Amino acid sequence: MATTYLTLTNEVLRELNEIQLTSATFSDAVGIQAFIKESINKALNDIANEEPQLPFFATATSGDTDPFYGNVNVSTVAGTRWYLLKADSSSITTDYSAVDWDNFYLTTIGVSGETAPYVSKGLKFITLTDWTRYIRDSENADDADTQNYGEPKYVVRSPDNRKFGISPIPDKVYKVYFYSYVAPTELSAHGDTIVLPDQYASVVTARTRYYVHQFKESLQQAAFALDDYKKGMKRMKSNLINPQPKNMTDDRVYF
Amino acid sequence: MAASQPFSVAMQGGLDKSSNTMELLAKPGVATKLTNFEISTRGGYRRINGFTQLGDGTRPNSSNDIEGLHVYADGVIAAAGTNMYFSQDGDSWLQINKASVAGGGDNYTAFTGRSALTRTSQSKASFATFEGNTVYGEVIITDEGSGVKPFYFKMTGTGDALSSRTYFAKEITVSGTHYPKFCVIHDKHLVVAGAATALNTIFYSGTSDIDDFTSTGSGSIVLDDQVVGLKSFRNELFIFCKNSIYKLQNINDSSTIAVVPVTKNVGCVDGKTIQEFAGDLIFLAPDGFRTIAGTARIGDVELGTVSKMIQPVINDIFDNIVDYEFSSVVLRDKSQYRMYYSGSAEATQNSKGITGTLTSRGFEWSEIVGIQAPAIASGFNFAGKEKVYHGDRNGYIYNHDTGSAFNPEGTETNIFAEYQSPDFDYGDFGTLKTLDHVKVSLRPEGATDPTLRVRFDFDTPDRIQPNDVSLETNDPAIFGLSLFGTTSKFGAAESPLIRQPVQGSGHSNFFKIFSEDTNAPYTINGLYINYRPSGRQ
Repeated sequence: MATTYLTLTNEVLRELNEIQLTSATFSDAVGIQAFIKESINKALNDIANEEPQLPFFATATSGDTDPFYGNVNVSTVAGTRWYLLKADSSSITTDYSAVDWDNFYLTTIGVSGETAPYVSKGLKFITLTDWTRYIRDSENADDADTQNYGEPKYVVRSPDNRKFGISPIPDKVYKVYFYSYVAPTELSAHGDTIVLPDQYASVVTARTRYYVHQFKESLQQAAFALDDYKKGMKRMKSNLINPQPKNMTDDRVYF
Repeated sequence: MAASQPFSVAMQGGLDKSSNTMELLAKPGVATKLTNFEISTRGGYRRINGFTQLGDGTRPNSSNDIEGLHVYADGVIAAAGTNMYFSQDGDSWLQINKASVAGGGDNYTAFTGRSALTRTSQSKASFATFEGNTVYGEVIITDEGSGVKPFYFKMTGTGDALSSRTYFAKEITVSGTHYPKFCVIHDKHLVVAGAATALNTIFYSGTSDIDDFTSTGSGSIVLDDQVVGLKSFRNELFIFCKNSIYKLQNINDSSTIAVVPVTKNVGCVDGKTIQEFAGDLIFLAPDGFRTIAGTARIGDVELGTVSKMIQPVINDIFDNIVDYEFSSVVLRDKSQYRMYYSGSAEATQNSKGITGTLTSRGFEWSEIVGIQAPAIASGFNFAGKEKVYHGDRNGYIYNHDTGSAFNPEGTETNIFAEYQSPDFDYGDFGTLKTLDHVKVSLRPEGATDPTLRVRFDFDTPDRIQPNDVSLETNDPAIFGLSLFGTTSKFGAAESPLIRQPVQGSGHSNFFKIFSEDTNAPYTINGLYINYRPSGRQ
C-alpha cells in the first residue's frame, strides 16, 4: 500500500519529535505541521524536477494498447502539422511534465478505414533548427500550393514545448504513440498517496527534513538531510531507470 | 539536531495570579493554577486530602445548616438549625441547649429530660472556651443572628460514657436585651461584642467570672466603629471593626485599661476569617489577607498584606462578597491557614476556599474547590489530638482534611486537582525549543495516576498541541509502614522521577499536571526538562 500523505507527514514529525497529526487534525494543521505538509509537496516536485522520467511519473502504463509502444497517442489530421502533446490541456501548467522525444511511433493500425498493409514506424526526432533550416520552407510551400503532404518521418518539438510537429505534414489520419510523464499531483487530503513505491518514501522525507531543518535554522542537520536525499535519488535512479544490463556495441569495421 | 539542554524547576512560590505572563517567565516555580493542591511542608505542591463523614454520617439536626462547630472535650459541639449538639463520635448527638438545668449540674438523665432552650433564629455561631479549672473547660456560644443571649455549656466527668457525666447549661445575660454576636476569652474575662442593639460596644465579664457581666472586673467600652470580630492575642485583645482595628490593653487594671487604635484605615471583612496563625493574626481585609504582627517591639504594630500574589482571586471574592459566607481554620501541623467561602445556595462542587501556607519564603497560596464548609473548626481535644471538622448546609459534619476523596453527604466524589506552571522560556524567549522529554519528580502517597499536559506558546491555537499523557505511579512500599500483600510495590521509589517523552516545539510552554480521581494524594516536587533549541523564527 502506497504511503499516505498523513503517514509521510507523521514520519517527518516523529523524526523531529514534533506532535503528530491525525486524520481529524490533518486538514487544520498549523505551524510546523503545516510547514511539513507543504515541504512534502515541495520534495515531491523536487524529485520530479530532478528526474521527471522516473517510471512512477508515467502518464499511463506502457503498452496499454498492445502492441504499441508508448503510453499515450494522438491522431493526426490530414494537412495539420502541429498537435498538442496533451490534447485536453488548457495551458502549460497542465501539460505533461516530460515527453520521451526519442520514442515517437507512427502507425495506421487502429485507424478507422485503414487495412493492411499498414504504416508502422518510428519517427525520428529532429531539432527545430534542422527542421527550420532544411524542411520547413518546402513543406509550407506544398501546403500552400499542391497540398500533396506525405507520410511523416520526423517529429519536432515546438518552441513553447506544448506541441509536437510531424514532418512531412501528414496526408491522412495516423496515430502517433509516444511516452509522456506527468508532474506529481499535489497531495491534499490525509489519505492521498504518493506515487513513489514505499521503499523510496525516505527520499521524500529526506528532502522534507532538508527544508524543515533550514526552517529551524539547523544548518548541519539540513546538510545531513540533503546528503540523504542525494544518495536516495541516486539509488532510485539507478534502480528504476538503468536497471538493464550494460552492453556496449561497436560498429566500426576493420579492413 | 542541536545539542539538548537541561532545565530544572523546583515547585515553590505557590499560586501567582498577580504577575503577568512576561513576569512569570522569571518565576518558573510558581503556579498559575493551583487548585486542590496545597504547599507541602516537605516542599512542592501536594494534592489535598479529602474529607470523610464524621461517624456514620448521622446529622445532628436533620438537614438544617451547620452554623458552627467547636472542638470540645472528647468530641465536637455543633450548632445546627435552632439547636446545639454534642457528639463524641458523630453517630449520636446530644442536644445541649437545654433550659432549667440545675445550677449544680444535671446528670445525663436529668439533662436529656430538660426542655429545649431554643436558639431562635440562630445564625452563625461563635465559640469560646474558658479552660478554667475543669476537665473540659467551659464553652460560651454566641449567635451572629443576635437573636438570643450567649449560651454557657460545661461538661464534667471523665468517663467515656456520656451517661456518666454532669452537664451545666444556661444563658448568660450581658446587659439588658443586648445579644452579642461574637465572643472570646481574654485574660480571665469573657469578652463579647457586636450585638445588633449595640454594634460598637464591647462587654467584658468579671475577672475569672465569665458568666457574670456585673461582678468585679466587668465593664463595657464604646468604640467608634462596628465590631465584626474579636481575637485575643498574647496580652492584648484585638477588636476588628468594619473600617478599623483596635486593641484592648490592661483589661485587669481598671486604672490603665485602654482601647488603642491599631489602624483607622483598614478593617476586617468578616470576623470568621480571623485566625491566630504562626505567631500572628491573619484576617481578610478589604485589600486582601493581612497579618497583625505582634512583635517584641511592645506597642508597635505592623500591618502587612500577605496575599498580593492572589490579588485577582481576592478581587473576585470582593465582587460577590455580599453573597458569600466565610469560615476559616488553621491546620497547625501543616502551618496552613484555610478560608472557605461560598454563597448560601452554592452547590458543594462550586464552593471554594483559599489555603495560605507559611513557608521560609513567606505565605504561599493555593485554591480549593469542592468543599462546602460554612462552618469549620480545629482544635486539640481532651486527648491532646488535633481534630478538624467542617459542616455543610445540608446538616452533615465531616472529618476535614483526611482520606483520598471528597464525601459530600456520604457520596464518594473525585477530587479534581490541577497544577499549571507558568510558561517556561528556558532563558530565551526568542528561540524555538523542541521538547525532548520531561522528568516529573513526584512523591506519591499510594497508587496515583495524574495526567501531564504540555501546551506551547501560551496554549495558542496557532500551534497543534500534544495529547495528554499519564504519569502513573505505584504505591511505594515504605519499610516499617507497608503491609505485605497490600497494594504497595516493593522497589517502587518513594519519590520517583517519571521520565516522560514529550513532543512538540514552541518558544515557550507550560506544564499542567492534573487528576480527577479518588487516588492517594501526591506531591509534585519539580520538573526536569530536556529540550533542543533551534533557530529564531
